Amino acid sequence: MEPAFVENLKVLCDAIASEGELYIPKKVNSHYVFKLYTSSDDEPVLNEIRVCTPVKEFLFPIRELAAVFPNEYETQDVKPFAVFGLKDCDLRSIEILDKVFSEDDFKDPFYISHREKMFIISSDCTEPAKSCFCCLFSGKTWPDKGFDLNVSPVECGFLIEVGSDKGKKILNKNKQLFKKATPQLIQQRDENRKKADEILTSQNAEYRLNNPAQKVVESSDGSQLFDIEAAGCVECQACTRVCPTCHCFYLHDTELKNYYGKMKMWDSCMRMSYAAVAGGENPRKILSDRIKHRLMHKFSYYMQRYGIDMCVGCGRCIDAESGTMDIRKLLKQLNGELTK
Amino acid sequence: MISHKNPYQPIGAELINIIDESPTIKSFVLKPEKPIIFEAGQFVELTVPGCGEAPFTPSSVPSQKDTMEISIMKAGKVTAQLHEIKKGATLGLRGPLGKGYPIDNFCGKEIYIVGGGVGLAPIRSLFLALVERKKDFVSIVCRYGAKTPEDFIYKKTLFGDWQKIDGVQIKLTVDKANGQWKDNVGVVTTILKPDDVKIANAVAVVCGPPIMMKFATLKLLEFGFKPDQIYLSMEKNMSCGIGLCGHCMLGKYYVCKDGPVFTYSQIKDYPKIWD
Repeated sequence: MEPAFVENLKVLCDAIASEGELYIPKKVNSHYVFKLYTSSDDEPVLNEIRVCTPVKEFLFPIRELAAVFPNEYETQDVKPFAVFGLKDCDLRSIEILDKVFSEDDFKDPFYISHREKMFIISSDCTEPAKSCFCCLFSGKTWPDKGFDLNVSPVECGFLIEVGSDKGKKILNKNKQLFKKATPQLIQQRDENRKKADEILTSQNAEYRLNNPAQKVVESSDGSQLFDIEAAGCVECQACTRVCPTCHCFYLHDTELKNYYGKMKMWDSCMRMSYAAVAGGENPRKILSDRIKHRLMHKFSYYMQRYGIDMCVGCGRCIDAESGTMDIRKLLKQLNGELTK
Repeated sequence: MISHKNPYQPIGAELINIIDESPTIKSFVLKPEKPIIFEAGQFVELTVPGCGEAPFTPSSVPSQKDTMEISIMKAGKVTAQLHEIKKGATLGLRGPLGKGYPIDNFCGKEIYIVGGGVGLAPIRSLFLALVERKKDFVSIVCRYGAKTPEDFIYKKTLFGDWQKIDGVQIKLTVDKANGQWKDNVGVVTTILKPDDVKIANAVAVVCGPPIMMKFATLKLLEFGFKPDQIYLSMEKNMSCGIGLCGHCMLGKYYVCKDGPVFTYSQIKDYPKIWD
């Protein structure tokens, strides 16, 4: 299906918001966050890079009720909702989470109920951040799958590409709002994409690995680099919270009004007692072991299980870092030790 | 498989009896709302409502379907609370979870069971399951250790009926004896001998505290057991029990889903498996 053209985003947002809640990016200082769209909003801003918070928040809330006792608790009806402004890295992070929560032998009904109701409007990245490194992990500045609709900014408006039947349905339902994209506009979109990809590739040239990341981390036994990284880490755990693919959680039993509840809450493998057992043993009580485990999970264990890396190169961990760690640099240094 | 659509939802289980096994270990006899059909070595998540949830391997024989026994050492927050609970309370159970012992693969072999402390709990379930079909195996040779004679659990059967079963041979040891103790004194590895079983046609099952499992495994390797002949029941922080939450990861494995029973060959190359 040929892309459609629309002059402003408000028209598109109004059409989507008529079907359910719509979350759009809003700039706060130098970052973007998601906010609920209302029809009284001004023309939405198209985010040039990914929103600060990871998309997993929509699918796997920070804290949700997973069971009650003594009564049974099943998933609640999730109303259809739409998220606007997701980038290629976000869509690939959803693919990674899908494999864990909805495609493996045990399925998480809470994740699935959110996932099934989510309508995705992605958009091209026009100005990659200095921390973006998706190009090192098969990503690019524009998505070609995983969306319902994709928005590309062009002169005087936006091109809308359809990626699913759900997306096609919305466009067909609101035909009068859209024009046909001209070949010139499509060419302009392709040039914009190429330009953004070039910026990304060029800023990451120094971090490119000459070995697969899996081999790099699997060959890192005994490396002092993890101790060096640990010295610069303040254990804030922000890297795991903002990471769109990290999905550790813990189950917390609590007493609610007149029943007991089991809450499912985000957790972090960087937390010292994360893997500790009641008897006191803890396989990763040393910080450098936890840093290494996180890398092994992302580039080795997940790869062995699902055949892809568990990192999309969004760079959020680098932006959120309170210490000194830069995952690109660490991989590059480990790669250096391997090729010595 | 879990019986619920929601894998985090426990079913109710009435606590119908509590047995004091040792100064720190009690057995809890539970009657779940509906039977939980498990295999020896699989585990359940036991919820103390409002307090927490923890993983335990049942100690009762799998063929006993209406009730389930779980032996629990007072170690952390949930177990401390459990030790205070009175008969008649309703607890929560999720399971069965994970992979148990592949008993069918043990047919025609000698089974060499090495246990220590509360590790005897899962072993009791396996032992009773093996005894039910003991004709399938050449022999069942058990070596158990405890800190002191008082610390043995299942004393009545361990010192009595089990010793009299045909085809079963049991030896016991304690780290520290008291006046009446006539058996071996020393850690469990001191009663492991290379000719206890014919290694070429044997499997070993090891369960106990990590330090005991480590040294027992090393001893078995020294005797000539191959890593894939040694079955270990690994203790990690199994929280969700279904391979999602990440707490129990041991290398690429989720202990809760891919284990808790592993052969040593599966996990030997990962770091800090005994910690």
